[in-house]
Amino acid sequence: MSAVVSPVREPLVTGSKTYHQITEDICAPTERMPGFSFMLGMLFSLLMLGFGAFCMVWTIWKGIGSWDLNRTIGWGWDITNFVWWVGIGHAGTLISAILLLFRQKWRTGVNRAAEAMTIFAVMCAAVFPGIHMGRIWVSFFIFPYPNTRGPLWVNFNSPLLWDVFAISTYFTVSLLFWYTGLVPDLATVRDRASGMRKKIYSIASFGWTGAAKHWSRWESLSLILAGMATPLVLSVHTIVSFDFATSVIPGWHTTIFPPYFVAGAIFSGFAMVQTLMLIARKVLKLEDYITIAHIESMNKVILLTGTIVGVAYLTELFIAWYSGYVYEQFAFYNRAVGIYWWSYLAMMSCNVLSPQIFWFKKARRSVVITFIMSILVNIGMWFERFVIIATTLARDYLPSSWSYYSPTWVEVGDYIFTFGLFFTLFLIFTRVAPVVAIAEIKSILKSGGDQYVGFEAERKKKEALESGEYASQH
Amino acid sequence: MASSSHTVAKTTDQINFTFTGGQKLLFGVLMLIGVICSALAFFNDPADEAINLHHSRFWTNFLHNSAFFGGLGFISLFLLCCKILAYSGWHTTFKRIWEAMMMFLPVSIVFFAILAIGNFAGFHHIYHWAAEGVTDPNNKEAYDSILAGKAPFLNPLMYLIFTVVIVLVWSAFAFILRARSKAEDKAKDGELSFFKKNKVLAAIFLPIGGFSSAAFIWLLLMSIDSHWYSTMYAWYVTASWLVSAVAFTILLLVYLKSKGYFPQVTKEHMHDLGKYLFGFSVFWTYLWFSQFMLIWYANVGEETVYFDLRIEEYPFLFYGNLVINFALPFIVLLANSTKRMTGTLVLVASLVFFGHWMDFFQMVKPGVYYENYKHLKHSHGHDGHHDEHHDTDTHLSDAHNHDAQAEGDDHSHAAVGGDHKGDNHDGHSKKAKSSRVGYAFPGFIEIGMMLGWLGLFLFVVFSGLARAQLVPTNDPYINESMHHHV
Repeated sequence: MSAVVSPVREPLVTGSKTYHQITEDICAPTERMPGFSFMLGMLFSLLMLGFGAFCMVWTIWKGIGSWDLNRTIGWGWDITNFVWWVGIGHAGTLISAILLLFRQKWRTGVNRAAEAMTIFAVMCAAVFPGIHMGRIWVSFFIFPYPNTRGPLWVNFNSPLLWDVFAISTYFTVSLLFWYTGLVPDLATVRDRASGMRKKIYSIASFGWTGAAKHWSRWESLSLILAGMATPLVLSVHTIVSFDFATSVIPGWHTTIFPPYFVAGAIFSGFAMVQTLMLIARKVLKLEDYITIAHIESMNKVILLTGTIVGVAYLTELFIAWYSGYVYEQFAFYNRAVGIYWWSYLAMMSCNVLSPQIFWFKKARRSVVITFIMSILVNIGMWFERFVIIATTLARDYLPSSWSYYSPTWVEVGDYIFTFGLFFTLFLIFTRVAPVVAIAEIKSILKSGGDQYVGFEAERKKKEALESGEYASQH
Repeated sequence: MASSSHTVAKTTDQINFTFTGGQKLLFGVLMLIGVICSALAFFNDPADEAINLHHSRFWTNFLHNSAFFGGLGFISLFLLCCKILAYSGWHTTFKRIWEAMMMFLPVSIVFFAILAIGNFAGFHHIYHWAAEGVTDPNNKEAYDSILAGKAPFLNPLMYLIFTVVIVLVWSAFAFILRARSKAEDKAKDGELSFFKKNKVLAAIFLPIGGFSSAAFIWLLLMSIDSHWYSTMYAWYVTASWLVSAVAFTILLLVYLKSKGYFPQVTKEHMHDLGKYLFGFSVFWTYLWFSQFMLIWYANVGEETVYFDLRIEEYPFLFYGNLVINFALPFIVLLANSTKRMTGTLVLVASLVFFGHWMDFFQMVKPGVYYENYKHLKHSHGHDGHHDEHHDTDTHLSDAHNHDAQAEGDDHSHAAVGGDHKGDNHDGHSKKAKSSRVGYAFPGFIEIGMMLGWLGLFLFVVFSGLARAQLVPTNDPYINESMHHHV
């Protein structure tokens, strides 16, 4: 990486850190007893997980008749939640792979946590198609393998099957990518640990010694995985969008779906990263590594992707009219002012209008506004999927089968289950692994530390140069 | 860092660009070729009436090149604004190339104005929606209920607003952006006000450019196939411009380097541009595939008609498009090393540039020819041309039945392409028999007209380069760009 850095770039590591301080700061949360706030969070997550697990068992025991799905509306909260979670699971790999390719150094502050979040989100997503099958004990039927069921074989023409491939591939690569990045940092924790902890971290870090050969192989592997992950980021939500867009249902069949779903996924993924990181940086005292500059950059991505999604909404709306196709026109008329008008309103206001506040630098750099916005965006993106799924299905070609759908308590409970799962896993993660990539932060210290770059550092350097100290130092 | 400002001066001996007489002559000759070919196209009188009805060979070429080269101007402005907002530094040393390319926007207004006035005055018949009587229910011959429904958008006034007026607005942004960038050169060291002001300007432009370019593309290109629609289309066209602009940048940089300019642009910069060419080509393919696959899979007649026409009548273009614009850059530029070989990069960039020009060819031509053909068939009655097109008709209806069978019965509404069309005919039987030069693939006249536009484009770009410092020595990122390493 270039050592020449323009002073207009904001420092990415504040507090004039040394390499040793970085290790100390980031390893600290894994080495001390968890505090009160952590315990409270864990308790809350486990309560959600417990209640959710009860509802899951209920669902499986009673069957999906315990939901309010009906003949007209065959997809409801289940698939809405599925798409929502998959979408959230896009930010991590985007940050680690695509931002790596674009040499965005600010990714180093948030990539580790975002990747972890990605993995947990994809796990939550996978729950829903699983339970939606009704007979979860035969869910292995979705995998194409030589079997004794005669001609019973998966439908290769179905985008739902492509989903199985896309998501399982994405999950595998994301997991490998995340773990590969963790190895040197786990070794750092190991070197500082003793007793049982040392043994566990020794196994987890695969005997990493930090030899030049290790780093060289680690770099190659990271690059290959980044290369594989980049098309995967696009492909997963593209294929999720195919679930809808390959149909002939007006409101679902539209060609803009693939890129617009991907933009929406990045949008919601970044919002979830903000939600988590704003809390994590405070609780784990990582404000020097996840700085306001990081938050601002992510808010810019949120503004950008939110507006791209806005362009797509308006394009859809316009082309529906332009098509001259009455069913298409009705589908969008129904979306905006039909029975579910309120969900369309929620989607438009949370996803398109509210992020526009980020045009203002003050708002982008405000922790409070960012936190509120990140919640709003997640609500909005949930409603987007609900609008696409339930609103469209509720008014099909045959007015006699028009219907209305609202979830039962079991469906709500199933959704809560995934929240419980997600937060429990994330909280465990913050305790057992370095939340910020130690090795990667160290790699950008010289080009991102506030003692080296920025106007302030330039000024000091100039002063030192004038007083003759600079020459003796360098 | 503070001490590195002298390196800027040292490595940029050739800080000013001279637009030589030889280059001017060359571009003049190219433009002359363009004019001659335009005249040939205009007065060309082929055996088949359909091929040049209402001088459409000339007019389609005119639209094709205006859209392609005008788009290069737009995408340069768009790219610069993106880079400003994304704190991109590495491109700074050659950013003047994009600043020069976007100066083609004001020039292209002339072409768009001619097309827009043509809709009012009726001196070209590119757009069926602009034809006489299509929105008039009393006109039994020409009335088209679909087009009547679209009339609030598809009308000459809207066309004027979204081509001429919008390009005027884009040009204004381009002028201001460039003026500030130039003023920065003269400012004192470390002056950041121009940099900050341009950041605001870029932020204002992005949403304006993003929204308005969609309407621009719908009117200019999508409305040629006046019944057809696809929500993806605008993004697809934009991606095509993006790849072409990157390819052009590579070619221009290599040429200028060979003349001794840009010594500070190294293999590292070319490597990154090569990555852009690779990455954006794949992105273009992604959009192409998503649009095609969804339409193919759903098999709704109103939508498939667009690709059906292209696959059946323009197979060379249809498949060639994918080979040149996807397979070639993908295979060649996948490896690290090829992006650092000037010769390889130039070869791929040239082919891809031409390939995307062909992509625009296949966007423009089929729709117009199809409409011409229908028109002639209408006025001559069905018998006149029946024999000549018998083969095609049988072949197509066979293919059609096959599709319908494969689909089963539940797709009856999709079975007949365009069954809701106002003029009430079976879309397939009207299909043109083609493989004609100038329509199914570019002929000498098309290439000649393209060279004309290319000459003009290069002339504008070179004079743009000559009117500013070649290297923006006061840009806050210039040192980063000078020391760029991949």
